[in-house]
Amino acid sequence: MKAASLFLFLCVAANLFAQAAPEVKLTVAAVGPRAVEPRTEQSLVRDYAAAWKSLADASESNTPALLNAYFAGAARTNFGRLVNDQQKIGTHIRYLNQVHNLKAVFYAPEGDVMQLQDSAEYQMQIVSGDKVIQDEHVVVQYIVLITPGADRWMVRQIQAVPAQ
Amino acid sequence: MRARLILAALLGFLLANRCFGQELTPPRQAIAGNPLSFSTTGSGSATFYLFGPGSAVKQDVHLGQSIEVRAEDVVTAGRYTAIVCSDTCHAEHFFVAAGAPASMSFLAHPSRAMVKQNDSISGVAFPFDKYENLILSPVNVNFEMTANKNSLFSRAIPTRQGVAWFRTNSGNTAGLVLLSASVNGISTQRALQLVASDPCNLRIKAQQTAKGVLVETEPIHDCAGNIVPDGTIVTFTANSGAGRSTVDAPIKQGVARANLTPAGSTTISAASGVVMGNELRMDVRR
Repeated sequence: MKAASLFLFLCVAANLFAQAAPEVKLTVAAVGPRAVEPRTEQSLVRDYAAAWKSLADASESNTPALLNAYFAGAARTNFGRLVNDQQKIGTHIRYLNQVHNLKAVFYAPEGDVMQLQDSAEYQMQIVSGDKVIQDEHVVVQYIVLITPGADRWMVRQIQAVPAQ
Repeated sequence: MRARLILAALLGFLLANRCFGQELTPPRQAIAGNPLSFSTTGSGSATFYLFGPGSAVKQDVHLGQSIEVRAEDVVTAGRYTAIVCSDTCHAEHFFVAAGAPASMSFLAHPSRAMVKQNDSISGVAFPFDKYENLILSPVNVNFEMTANKNSLFSRAIPTRQGVAWFRTNSGNTAGLVLLSASVNGISTQRALQLVASDPCNLRIKAQQTAKGVLVETEPIHDCAGNIVPDGTIVTFTANSGAGRSTVDAPIKQGVARANLTPAGSTTISAASGVVMGNELRMDVRR
């Protein structure tokens, strides 16, 4: 009985650890034409990590409303449709152990949009019912458009591209 | 004997794999909004899943037959995971690319700018396909700035990772300016107002009246000859033996006026923004 409880505890603890906040690193050395201020850099890292956390939560629980805080425009529409579809067919996707290496490549002259390249790595589990039907380590590159909102950066476009 | 057993096991495995194993071949090239077909090997029924950045699909399939995916299930560009499950699951990945340009997001700044300012106008364009996927392959965006149908600026700029942008000087003439970005016949336009710059050669004249001194400017232009817009403030200052008095007056129809009440020997001057006008000296008798 004790062994079973310990096993359950370890499973839950492992799961919680796995779904910790995504690790995000940002380099702005190559950005232009506008420079990225240090405080902007900090808020980008914070908000991009929060965006992926909210995507993981929305996808795990099939709750599209969780996307509202950090996604807007096409990104919100697309992920919302994905989560709705997952709910309909009884599946969900887990994004675990996320690491995002961001590179700012374009920052508009007036500061109203920024383009990022995200070299991302994470463990993706696709679950149908109770069964994990796919468990893989994903290494993928995203092109991201992110815009400033009232108090945070919002992801507007996020598109995976083949590795170059 | 041992070698025979290994060979028999290997043959058995290959035969079983041939009869019951499943292979899934995704399309080599996929464009958003086009139907897809997957070829499969094996036999028997299976479940097919397709997960993309904007959709999730599940359908029953027969191994050995092709699997058709509807166009509306692959409208979002990005990475897709296709899985076919019978006894075990087998997954494949592929990428869907954006289609042809169908719309454009065009950010132009500012909405109001002074004439003759270096690098004061900028525009950023993002071409999208009809499903709002960013087109990442290079396309030429034609930027143009026109005033009264005269071209002030025109340049074709290729997109890099889906973005094209420009920065340019404002024109010499105040008025409405149209900025446009176009790609493959799709055009987006923004309007901006060029306004006169700071006044140039601010000149004043004065005449004594029963109430004091009426001071007014000559019509105020910027250095390019544009009338400075109404509402711009001109500050008139009178220094006399009675002290110093200041009046702020807005420009109306190109001219600013103020009534000053100095006494005795007086120096009157005017300024607008960083520009000083001429000085008048007069002896005011009341």
